[in-house]
Amino acid sequence: MTRRERALRTVRRGTVLTVVALLGLVIVYVRALMFTPIERFQGPAQKIFYVHAPVAWASLLAFAVCGLLSVGYLFMRDRRLDLLAMSSAEVGVALSVAMLTTGPIWGKPIWGTWWTWDFRLSSTLFLFLLFVGYLVLRGALADHEVRARYSAVLGVMALALVPFIHLTVYWFRTLHPAPVIMKPEAPSLPGVMLVTLLMSLAVFTLLYGGFLTVRYGLAVLEDVRLEEAAHELS
Amino acid sequence: MNYPDNGAYMVAAYIVTAVVVVGYAAMLFYRSRKLR
Repeated sequence: MTRRERALRTVRRGTVLTVVALLGLVIVYVRALMFTPIERFQGPAQKIFYVHAPVAWASLLAFAVCGLLSVGYLFMRDRRLDLLAMSSAEVGVALSVAMLTTGPIWGKPIWGTWWTWDFRLSSTLFLFLLFVGYLVLRGALADHEVRARYSAVLGVMALALVPFIHLTVYWFRTLHPAPVIMKPEAPSLPGVMLVTLLMSLAVFTLLYGGFLTVRYGLAVLEDVRLEEAAHELS
Repeated sequence: MNYPDNGAYMVAAYIVTAVVVVGYAAMLFYRSRKLR
């Protein structure tokens, strides 16, 4: 099987995974909006939690995976790790757009403001801009080796920010609530709300997997096309 | 029970998430069609 055929197979598998995840998202929407109770103090706006927290988890996961693959690339210089890291970064940026828009939409009715420059919000925005810069940097460098090395260094630096962002709610005074699941104690949610949240977390993780698989397949296809073009020129 | 009247924010957040997710999926699909 050629590299191009393998890439096409990866795209097909990723597409199936994405379609399954999108169907799962429909189920999560129905469950969250129609079968999960309204929280007494926050009202319907609290239900934003069932999309905001999982999409934030998926985007931070994407950035962490990009950082870890970047570490791997710097040690092994394997082109596949570079392409996979870039794919994860792009998916992370796309999911961050949802995270950074649903957050303020939730904040306005609950905090009374769309945005506040506290540590959690500012560091999350900084991480997003860092990965936008990562993608711009990749687009600006023509040489593959240089592009992969420079972007891997940026990916490793950004990786350090991910645990920092998770811990900011404990270290600094912030309007942002503390985690309800990813903490040492038991989850602080009623059972029915917890099930909705866990379903949504699973669906967004699957969606990340689907997007990453498709994007990686496309990155390999682009790479194959460039190689063929270079071969024809020589 | 009386709840705060903020359902519009909830609807907006769910629509935005769907638009971003489906939009990105559509973009990947379009790119895969172009590369095949």
